[in-house]
Amino acid sequence: MNKLIAEHLMAVLKREGLQPRPGDLEQFSEIIELYVENLKQLHSVNLGADELAPVFRPEWTGK
Amino acid sequence: MAVAEKPLYYLSIHEAQQLIKDRQLSPVELTQAVLDRASAIDNKLHAYINLMADSAMSEARAAAAEIQAGHWRGAMHGIPIAVKDQLDVEGAPARIRQFTKGVGDATAVRKLRDAGAVIMGKLHMSSLPDAELPLPRNPWNTDHITGGSSTGSGAAVAGGLCLGSLGEDTAGSIRNPSAFCGLAGLKGTYGRVSRYGLAPLSWSLDHCGPMARVVEDLAHMLNTIAGYDPKDPTSSSTLVDDYTSALREDIKGIVVGVPRDYIDECAPRTDPVVLKLVGEAVEALKSLGARIEDVKVPTLRLATIANAVIYYNEFWAAHKNGAAEVLNTGAPQRRARIYLGLLTGSADYIQAQRIRSRCRAELAEVFGKVNCLALPNQAGPAPRVKDVGPIDTLFKHVVPEYHGPFNLTGLPTLSVPCGFSPNNLPIALQLVAKPFDEVTVLRAGYTYQQHMKWHERRPPI
Repeated sequence: MNKLIAEHLMAVLKREGLQPRPGDLEQFSEIIELYVENLKQLHSVNLGADELAPVFRPEWTGK
Repeated sequence: MAVAEKPLYYLSIHEAQQLIKDRQLSPVELTQAVLDRASAIDNKLHAYINLMADSAMSEARAAAAEIQAGHWRGAMHGIPIAVKDQLDVEGAPARIRQFTKGVGDATAVRKLRDAGAVIMGKLHMSSLPDAELPLPRNPWNTDHITGGSSTGSGAAVAGGLCLGSLGEDTAGSIRNPSAFCGLAGLKGTYGRVSRYGLAPLSWSLDHCGPMARVVEDLAHMLNTIAGYDPKDPTSSSTLVDDYTSALREDIKGIVVGVPRDYIDECAPRTDPVVLKLVGEAVEALKSLGARIEDVKVPTLRLATIANAVIYYNEFWAAHKNGAAEVLNTGAPQRRARIYLGLLTGSADYIQAQRIRSRCRAELAEVFGKVNCLALPNQAGPAPRVKDVGPIDTLFKHVVPEYHGPFNLTGLPTLSVPCGFSPNNLPIALQLVAKPFDEVTVLRAGYTYQQHMKWHERRPPI
């Protein structure tokens, strides 16, 4: 796995008091690297002034 | 095939309810036929993880007595229904919960019970902690998977081990097994069906919904399970339609949008047979009176990854207190989701929510011009069991594909069979409508199904 990603993941696991199951990081390295790569695409779109809107369900009345 | 020629376990809910209402069929006889079918072939399909035969027969006898006394409750009375493990059933809480307690009956299960349905038991789902459980097999070819995560629902409904099932869909988990197993499946609008009693994967993406052999049966089930639930804070108070009576209006004049650019984006990862059959299905809708228009939804290309980011981050939050146990004993998919959730930053999660907003706005504009969208439901026919790895589904979640965008936007989405691959595996069309317009996708799917009759084929098991 990419060294920076592995170090980041180990740091956040440690922060949460967790340890990866032995072999997991090797087993999941491909999906983890693809996911982190695709995360960057999320920020590639220009959303202008769009704010985070409470749009999950416009009809929601909060009942 | 005429009703009289069908084995009882292959009756549709619609056919069975008419016979039960007319007292030509007893719920006891029907439930026994389904239990016998399960005894005969579930050792090959592995759909049930808890077949509740005794309580099912007891419920069937109670339904029979009530109907005999002149108290027919409605279409679901005496109908054998099975439940994906993820939903709690009284006495059989979700096994997928590794560290939280069940709630008795999930609201959708309770509503089915109140309508007189016979609860057959709990069905397998992907990622159960019980690693020794065999993977469900596809009734169309048992060398192939059913799709997931409603794995057991796909096998059970297609194989005649129940007449319908409650499933759950966070990134395609109703529509994927419905497509692979030749079923009709509906992910209703977010908020349409209560999530109370559903073991959470991702609070804002989880949808509970029906799976059955024909679209009409989805309408019967949705009539029963839809509606406001004070126990689910995201449940909607929007009025519930009568989904069955709306089915028979024709589709002349409805406008079907085809997101051609998005299909092209996904095409390199899609089997040509899927693109061909979905294209033919769109032509069939046109021949039935629909008008077809190409539409553009630019942000759809980011919707799948946005869905995954929200999914894994909410999964991490939902499982934080039991994460050590998940990492120690959980299935590979669940462990991987923990790692991916941990790698997701707050800016990523918020950006995914902004993309969700943008995507919904673009779709709202499109639905000002069209009544529904039509697009493929799957990248290909069901793969062979031996060709699928334990976390392959996660790869589907992070590149543009056909399911995630409609969990992200919470829109009602129907899966309906639209043909078969050369090796006789089902392929499906996906129809999507604006919020709370389940009627339109059910009507279009019903009309298409009545015209093409793909549902009359039976798996060779």
